[in-house]
Amino acid sequence: MAVPLSQAYTVAKYVLTQKAKGITRYPLVLMLEPLFRCNLACAGCGKIQYPDHVLDMRLTPQQCWAAAEECGAPMVSIPGGEPLIHPEMPEIVRGLVKQQRYVYLCTNALLLERKLDDYVPSKYLTFSIHMDGLKEEHDHAVCRDGVYDVAVRAIRAALKRGFRVTSNTTLFDDAKPERVRAFFDEMMTLGVEGMMISPGYSYQKAPDQQHFLKRQRTQELFSELLRDRKPSWRFNQSPMFLEFLMGHVEYQCTPWGNPTYNVFGWQRPCYLLQDGYVKTFRELMEGTDWDRYGTGRHEKCADCMVHCGYEASAVNDTFGSWGGLARTVRAMVAPNRHGSGPSLLQPRPPRHDGHEVSRA
Amino acid sequence: MTDTKYHEPEERSLQARRFKPASEEELAEAIELAFDYRGDVRLWLRHGETVEGYLFNRVNSGAQPGAPYVEIFPVDRGLQRPARTIPYGQIEEIEFSGEDTANGKSWEAWAAKKESQRQAEAARVEAEARARGHL
Repeated sequence: MAVPLSQAYTVAKYVLTQKAKGITRYPLVLMLEPLFRCNLACAGCGKIQYPDHVLDMRLTPQQCWAAAEECGAPMVSIPGGEPLIHPEMPEIVRGLVKQQRYVYLCTNALLLERKLDDYVPSKYLTFSIHMDGLKEEHDHAVCRDGVYDVAVRAIRAALKRGFRVTSNTTLFDDAKPERVRAFFDEMMTLGVEGMMISPGYSYQKAPDQQHFLKRQRTQELFSELLRDRKPSWRFNQSPMFLEFLMGHVEYQCTPWGNPTYNVFGWQRPCYLLQDGYVKTFRELMEGTDWDRYGTGRHEKCADCMVHCGYEASAVNDTFGSWGGLARTVRAMVAPNRHGSGPSLLQPRPPRHDGHEVSRA
Repeated sequence: MTDTKYHEPEERSLQARRFKPASEEELAEAIELAFDYRGDVRLWLRHGETVEGYLFNRVNSGAQPGAPYVEIFPVDRGLQRPARTIPYGQIEEIEFSGEDTANGKSWEAWAAKKESQRQAEAARVEAEARARGHL
């Protein structure tokens, strides 16, 4: 297991406490975006397409800590923009660690080696390094040559100093499975604690049947990637989310699982869609019409299988019943039990999250 | 981090367009376009004032006090500025005044460029980041 026991225990205790209290909608990971400014300009990245005066805005440390307290999630992911550009990021992280939250600082690592002195290794702090594949694919994805080499150097330096480091990979349909599998080997050889993978989000107005095919292609891709999984590969995410990506189980989206806070406020409904903003976490949770979003419910959700919507569904499945726990244990101890082929030609996989989903 | 790839047709940019809605429905429609727009807009208010900035939110549900209204970060108020709230009823015209920062930035547009164009653009982005002290 790639996640340390103390973190797994904290998350399990948190989820079970929510369930014991009868709370059905609870946040799992706060997505904290303290700025949108980045030092890369990856083509198609919707997070950085703002006027300069918006890119220059920053959340203060106090705003970040207050958002984490208000939300209460045991984990905080800090994407952006590039968080290491924020001059007060070390202070923000120190405050979140003091709150005993597990912080994933998502960075492209261009500044990491230079900034390592500003941080203290802790079980609560993980540098989650954006790596979209081997050198050729990664540099192509981030639209700049040499970024992969800088990131690898930074990973080595961070590991040497005792920091927790994971890789964080977004894959689109054009990924070549054999190259990605080689990339997994490379990351494990580098010594990262675990890898995080997710399909990217794309949206194109299209007939429902085309959306269905696109989800199928995503499942095919991840089945190819994760078939005959090597024992050396460690993934820093829910085993059931990987099962979902491979098409072995079906979930409805849990958009409130990863609530997003940024310079505009609390973002409705999720990390990827921007349907508006509210001032408080409570307004977000109680005032959002959640039933409008998710597979089969909203046009822009049609192709989405991204971690920020479905990882919380997978965790909810694990802790929702003895059956879910058993499925998770099976997925952990026998990840290759489905054989080498994708499940797509088999009957439709069962749903385990209690939601209904419609498919055209 | 790139976890999105947008595929909106590029020729649909509203940059430099100006709308004078003739009804509440048209106003609501124009505000939705402004909300989706990735650049600054200029609002021409009924009492003669103009406000230019990034329109990041609109609240059109009756449940909120004061709704419907828009929220905008004016360009001229500094970094830790509060957002300004403007009721729909005060808005007379909407101009898409600022650069559309999403226009021409799709993955497809990048992929369609010549290698020399891509290299030049990458060098420009790198130089800008370096000038700001972000590299």
